[in-house]
Amino acid sequence: MRRRDFIKLNSFISGGWVMAQLIPINGFSAEATDCFQPSPLIKLCSDGKIIVYVIKQEMGQGVQTSLPMIIAEELEADLKDILVEAMPFDSEKGGQYQTGGSTSVMRQWMPLRKAGAAAREMLIAAAAKEWNIGVENCVASKSKIINTTNNKEIAYKDLISRAAGLPIPKEPELKNYKDFKVIGKPGQKKNNIKEIITGKMKYGIDFKLPGMLYAAVVRCPVIGGKVKSFDAASVGSVDGVVKIFELKEMGEGVQNRSGVAIVANNRWSVFKAQQRLKVEWTVNEEAAKVNSANYATTQKERLLKNPDIIYNERGDVVKDQNRKDASWVSATYQLPFYAHATMEPVNCIAQFKDGKFELWGGFQNPGKAASAGSAFFGLKAKDVFINLMPMGGGFGRRLSVDYCCEAMQVAKNIDQPVQLLFSRADDIKFDVFRPASTHLLAAKLDANKMPIQWQHDHITSPVGDSILGNKGNPGWLSIEAGGGAYGDVYYNIKGFRSTVSRVAPPVELGWWRAVNFTYNNVVIESFIDELAKKAGKDGLTYRLDLLKNLQPVKIKDGSLYDPRRMEAVLKLAAEKIDWTKKRASGRGLGIACCFYNHAKAYTAHAFEVSVDKTKKITIHRAIVATDVGTIIDPDGFANQVEGGFVWGLSAVMKSEITIEKGVVQQSSFFDFEVSRMPDVPKLEIHIIQSNEDPGGAGETSVPSVIPGIMNAVAAATGVRVRELPLKKSGYYFY
Amino acid sequence: MPSYKLNVNGKEALVDLPADMPLLWALRDVLDLTGTKYGCGVGSCGSCTVLIDGIAIKSCQYTAAAAVGKKITTIEGLSEDASHPIQQAWIALNVPQCGYCQAGQIMTTAALLKTNPNPTDAQIDAAMEGVVCRCGTYARIRKAIHKAAELSKK
Repeated sequence: MRRRDFIKLNSFISGGWVMAQLIPINGFSAEATDCFQPSPLIKLCSDGKIIVYVIKQEMGQGVQTSLPMIIAEELEADLKDILVEAMPFDSEKGGQYQTGGSTSVMRQWMPLRKAGAAAREMLIAAAAKEWNIGVENCVASKSKIINTTNNKEIAYKDLISRAAGLPIPKEPELKNYKDFKVIGKPGQKKNNIKEIITGKMKYGIDFKLPGMLYAAVVRCPVIGGKVKSFDAASVGSVDGVVKIFELKEMGEGVQNRSGVAIVANNRWSVFKAQQRLKVEWTVNEEAAKVNSANYATTQKERLLKNPDIIYNERGDVVKDQNRKDASWVSATYQLPFYAHATMEPVNCIAQFKDGKFELWGGFQNPGKAASAGSAFFGLKAKDVFINLMPMGGGFGRRLSVDYCCEAMQVAKNIDQPVQLLFSRADDIKFDVFRPASTHLLAAKLDANKMPIQWQHDHITSPVGDSILGNKGNPGWLSIEAGGGAYGDVYYNIKGFRSTVSRVAPPVELGWWRAVNFTYNNVVIESFIDELAKKAGKDGLTYRLDLLKNLQPVKIKDGSLYDPRRMEAVLKLAAEKIDWTKKRASGRGLGIACCFYNHAKAYTAHAFEVSVDKTKKITIHRAIVATDVGTIIDPDGFANQVEGGFVWGLSAVMKSEITIEKGVVQQSSFFDFEVSRMPDVPKLEIHIIQSNEDPGGAGETSVPSVIPGIMNAVAAATGVRVRELPLKKSGYYFY
Repeated sequence: MPSYKLNVNGKEALVDLPADMPLLWALRDVLDLTGTKYGCGVGSCGSCTVLIDGIAIKSCQYTAAAAVGKKITTIEGLSEDASHPIQQAWIALNVPQCGYCQAGQIMTTAALLKTNPNPTDAQIDAAMEGVVCRCGTYARIRKAIHKAAELSKK
């Protein structure tokens, strides 16, 4: 039984420490309670508690709310009986804990339904035995089985021992959509909302072990640089400093920087000492020359040479790249690096004891932390136990494991548990950034100005080089390709070609909310609007004309794209914003869409804006139409879609990481700007009701925001901006 | 290390800490009140906002020493059981996503409603501008502030 292992593994810390947020106070006690666990995900106990284990990590996206709802539905459990716990870490199943790509609900949908349904069938069978009647006379409802012949009831908690002896059904019967009482029903509050708003919620950064020390690292500001020497005396007399020592780079897939760790007995001291410590670096001269402008130039120059990979090529493609004749239209887009800036800066507690590591914190990819971290020390993944805590934001940042592995290295150097802290400046300067990219879009137009050739050349530094190891692998370029419909366009265009080429990165890179869709989908949906303008059509009509003869198609990565669903979200967004209504002069309408293939979602955003003489943009209306199939928790879903909008607004308007002499220039929220309340108008959300299997929300709600705003601004001003953020061209929201 | 008498959430506490320690770290690390969050340490995100004599203060920019003789209120002091009208409004609107910034949002709201029990959207935007939410719950916070204003009148 995993749970017992969990307690045992933790028992060497402060005599049986419990994670207050994850183990409910009145929860399971192995000694006092009889429990039955029909699946690793569900445990029903004789005290009436039903514990649902969530293997996906909570970072604000609501998996601890939505995933238990799926089980509750099939289990016919009363929601108030359900206690939610993070699934204790098991290194053998490390990969299953990975959380990202808006895929948690989508991938857990059937396993959770089956687990709930199997448990329900076992409880029904147990009740039928108890009453000596047929299962057809038993109905499950609100954590009870009802005998339909006499309306007698028996609670689940009174069936524990009987149900535990029954075989687990392999193919339990799932409920019919029309009978759903939990899934898709409004009113569910976020799990732990009371703990959050009373300050009781413990994130990794809030956790403290007895005798725990604190560490911060002074890292080399230039990528690839190394510690030459450091002067421990330069710290001077800061209370509580315990140890100062060099921290090694941990290699491929970890991608931490060379640095010097400072350990102290309190956080204020460790940050003070970090400010003072003097370190000399040996820096690669080329790396120390890179700045944002010459990196962009390098990307543009790379466009002129042969591409590294042709990701996708179909139809009658013009191969000679001779786009000289007048029927060709082309445009170059330039997009910046972005940081994640999760509100809780990354941090990790580590302890090394008896040849094993134990970690505490928020991790989107704990399996990788265990495998990469253990490998560096010549241990096995099973020698790392990870306590999974809620995250103060993830957005892809915590899929990288630099901060976990650094914490392990520090812990290995001292005999006490230690919390590795990133100051906000560390968190931004040593983030793993969303790549900056250059895109050349080119289209050949027919007599009606409709595209018959589409070419997209994409220059980037791929994320895979930083976090998947095996630098230079052409496969990592494929991951970057296309975006939108993954290396394809959504539209009916005869000849298509997409290429990707690599330039060396000046920083480490990482997954970022909606990653490649926030470049590929952005440039595709902006360029389509440029073509519409050439054709003298509005953005909606042009898109619908390009969709109407396109049949459902399997795109390059194997996912099925249904143009009818895309048309439906476009039409719905257009209808809600009164697309065809005449606007006062100075007002601009913009629309953009996205098929998010990883998470089966169709989204369209439409905006009405005006732009004054000072380039102040006012968003008068913001609309989103979305089709993600079945929605589990409607209010949680809406919250994600609202958040995706805000994320997109940051990206289109304000956020940017710049580099000078190899060094990231931003260090906090005053220079790495993100959306603040005055930036954000009300978003009107319109949902296409659907019984399709669920898709995802967190990432899928981002990509069409950015080109939607770009298109609206172009419509209002007549000027197409092809470089982000818009702030660089003088625009602002407030 | 000097000793300071701090009044936090109605309770007096005598604490030994360096004279330059920000109130944020005194609350979190010395008094174990971890509801007040570290977000940036330079006053640019508002996650660490607390009330000092009823005024919203970024506790990373205010030394514990300077708070002596003043009334400090943290998220833990608003109510134990989420019964405060602002917390009730936050539940009604199901505001949080990750929740990390929400203490800062709620304490800033508490200060706002004290001086302006009926704020307009524009006044809310102006008052809340300093508190960053990376998950993007701003529209809900705005609505919840109106709701809290309404609940406070009852």
